[in-house]
Amino acid sequence: MADLTPNAQGSAADLFIEMEAAQFTKTGQGACGDDVRFLTVEKENRHLVALSDGLGSGVKANVLATMTTAMAIEFLKSNIPTLEAVEIIMDSLPICEVRKIGYATFSLFDFRLGGKARISEMGNPGYIHLRGVEEVPPLKDWQVVSEHWPDREVRECEVDFRAGDRIIMCSDGVTQSGLGVRKDMKFGWRRSGVLAFARERIEREPDISARDLSLAIARQALNITPGGCKDDISCAVVYLRHPRVMRVLTGPPYYKENDAEYARQALLGPDHIVACGGTTANILERELGVKVKVRLADMKTAGGLPPIGTMEGVGIATEGILTLGRVLSALEQMRPPEKEPTAARAILERMMRHDRIEFIIGTKVNESHQDPNIPQDLELRRSVVKRIAAALEKNYRKKVTLNYY
Amino acid sequence: MEKVKVEICCGTACYLLGAANMMDIEDKLPAEWSGKVEIEAKPCLELCERENLGGAPYVRINDTEVMAQATPDKLLTRIGELLGGAA
Ligand code: FES
Repeated sequence: MADLTPNAQGSAADLFIEMEAAQFTKTGQGACGDDVRFLTVEKENRHLVALSDGLGSGVKANVLATMTTAMAIEFLKSNIPTLEAVEIIMDSLPICEVRKIGYATFSLFDFRLGGKARISEMGNPGYIHLRGVEEVPPLKDWQVVSEHWPDREVRECEVDFRAGDRIIMCSDGVTQSGLGVRKDMKFGWRRSGVLAFARERIEREPDISARDLSLAIARQALNITPGGCKDDISCAVVYLRHPRVMRVLTGPPYYKENDAEYARQALLGPDHIVACGGTTANILERELGVKVKVRLADMKTAGGLPPIGTMEGVGIATEGILTLGRVLSALEQMRPPEKEPTAARAILERMMRHDRIEFIIGTKVNESHQDPNIPQDLELRRSVVKRIAAALEKNYRKKVTLNYY
Repeated sequence: MEKVKVEICCGTACYLLGAANMMDIEDKLPAEWSGKVEIEAKPCLELCERENLGGAPYVRINDTEVMAQATPDKLLTRIGELLGGAA
């Protein structure tokens, strides 16, 4: 398998599991009738996904789906046998007055690093397991049926999930897109259509992230259906790979003697490095013999933050504390990067593309920030970075490390 | 003088104390100066931590001259002087 972070020696030795989902809500409905939930049980190195499609659409379906994923994740975590879990879920879902049943489908994924993956499905399109562009069949699969609910068959699979593999799970809004409206797709896009599309995407972009692949599949499902989204669309992708490591260097080291070692941390490849702060950029210029270049056009369109610069062969450079503050608020409020000022956007987009974010923090306090003429209070770099780390872990399931100089 | 080089500091202190207003300085240059003024943005000129230089925002002109408390007007006037009163 290709090493995705060629310069991240050593630190890329362990594996990272990327779990992402993309959703579109049926046109005209305020709430999505599908729900996707992820959980990582750190202590067990275990990763869980639940995707559910509630009967119907709108708020009622949303309640069914979210109840299902919430319960399913808890039961998986507590190792309750699938059959028992399914019965409890089915027994507790509210009954639809029109249809006289309470119903939500599900796909569950349970994986422990170093072991096999278990997938349980009921009513959803069958999962897709890809190794590169090759589909991988389960090691074994079997059906379980509840005595209470004899018409609800659950398919269980044991899967050999290896580094570089991807699992795709979706709601029928994806596989049935185009159904009844496209003459060339009598039965909709179907699982085979999703499979062909995913293979073709991976062929073109072998390292495509789970985030981009899930979004590409969901968008395609949306595009297939002319005139709006006919059913809720959800696609979850799990991708096991070597972590993509990014480093953010910010602030000058406390002792100047450490500048050289600090600067060496920036040699990870230009796509993976951000220098945050003017003094930081100056240290890299001096120690690595690079120049920070700011394009004039970037000065004008910076959108309320100082402009962004590039250091050829090393990475990008931004201003420090104001930019980090903006990055922090976007991460805490989970605002999409697209609408942020250029420098914050560049950092956020990089963060989204990487799995592990290593902060290299110089702890020297910048005296000029204490200037009484400065109209606003400037927070301390260390505390802003700590909050960024917490938001990345909690809201985006990134791994974060903090190293002080 | 043939050509004037201007380095505008975009570090935190300078940006907050007024450099933000100089980001579009290029658009304010008179047409007859075209080709004679080179404008660059710099991460931090490392003048902000020194005392007695007059205060941010700082602009460096022709590698040696430091302008403290720079404003677009002050900067344009000084460039004009250096170019030989062309403004
Ligand atoms: S911020 Fe302008 S000189 Fe440091």
